[in-house]
Amino acid sequence: MITNNFGYHAPPDLDGVVAALAEARGDVVVLGGGTMIIPDLTHGRASADVVVDLSRAGLSGIREEGDEVVVGATTTYTEVLSDDRAAALVPLLRTLSSGITGGPQIRNKGTIGGSAAYANPCSDVPACLVALGARMRLASAQGVREVPAEEFYTGAFATVRRRDEVLAAIVLPRPDGTAGYTKLKLAESSWPIVTAAVVSRPDGSLRVAIGAVAETPRLIDVEPPSAGVDDPAWRDHVRRAVAAAVPEPWSDLLADGAYRMRVAPAIVARSVARALAAGGEETP
Amino acid sequence: MTRIRITVNGEEREIDVETSRLLVHAIREELGLTGTHVGCLNGDCGACTVLVNGQTVKSCSVLAVSADGAEITTIEGLARDGELHPVQQAFWDEFGFQCGFCLPGTLLVTCELLERNPDPDDAAIDEAINGTLCRCTGYAGIRRAIRRAAERISADRPEPAPSPADR
Repeated sequence: MITNNFGYHAPPDLDGVVAALAEARGDVVVLGGGTMIIPDLTHGRASADVVVDLSRAGLSGIREEGDEVVVGATTTYTEVLSDDRAAALVPLLRTLSSGITGGPQIRNKGTIGGSAAYANPCSDVPACLVALGARMRLASAQGVREVPAEEFYTGAFATVRRRDEVLAAIVLPRPDGTAGYTKLKLAESSWPIVTAAVVSRPDGSLRVAIGAVAETPRLIDVEPPSAGVDDPAWRDHVRRAVAAAVPEPWSDLLADGAYRMRVAPAIVARSVARALAAGGEETP
Repeated sequence: MTRIRITVNGEEREIDVETSRLLVHAIREELGLTGTHVGCLNGDCGACTVLVNGQTVKSCSVLAVSADGAEITTIEGLARDGELHPVQQAFWDEFGFQCGFCLPGTLLVTCELLERNPDPDDAAIDEAINGTLCRCTGYAGIRRAIRRAAERISADRPEPAPSPADR
């Protein structure tokens, strides 16, 4: 159980959310699907004086805005999986949603924005957003700003979001290319140990992001393989690219940093192969 | 205290809860429906699974105040007039449980699965139960039970429970 009561607000719209955040004092929790933060409150890993619940604020759904795709912050994994149009626009979103650990109960409740803002190094969402070139749309009583995903993450469980701000939406440039996603986990119910999200662009270049290897998702500089992803020279190039991007690897109960560094190049290679093959539609 | 109104297994209820109250505790203690189990309180084990507005959720990861206005189905809402739900009957027939602790969650994810996909293959079954931990069965009985439930429901002719003499 959660041992202290808190102020609770479930505003009916975004204006209400930013007003509640502007007034909130003490430890403020923005509640998305709650699948991570509620257990944190229960087990004393987080504390709240005020909870602002986004569930009634109308922030879910995926829509097109000009050339871009806007994912509302409280869009659940299940909503992504049942939105064929969204899946056609951004296949990587569907691929990552289909592999979310924790069962349908978590996919029904967990949100893309919640995972993005929670910034667990081991979550699927952050590295995928970096690979997709996402911008994080942050709203407050002062207005709206957008931050590129690769600048959004500042550390494990830490982002540039101010305490009076809410992640309202994630803006994705419409992908021009094919994507591949792979995550390594050693048991069905495990958090990912290493993830790699790859977008292969029409000009042949790759945009590659790795997750769970460092505290924050990292873009790595990888050239497309000229002799296949099994070519030892290219594998060596990937290994150097990972090392250059990750001076200090992330360690947790599942794996220490040295292990993550060892396996990351292979996971990158699998994602590159998937992106080059046919659009990375395989389940991770 | 905050007053919330929820519909539980078809019945409208009003309860007063603290903001810190988890839905699972409100269901068990304020509503007295103890078929929903408390396991890990961490969103991992699935024993606290209920349907909220038709979707399975882990009720240890939901604040009771967030559920204001929701329609909730718990395990007590499956059987009707003393007759087991076809999913429950299939689990009974196929030994889909042993100690029964995970069973409320397993049954409700099965109901949701069959609603979304009346003819699930093994991969779809595994995906549906991968948030529900069973430490007794090894899952083989659960898979058989889910397939049996799918066959029964699509045939739309629930069989009577086998008599003790058949066992």
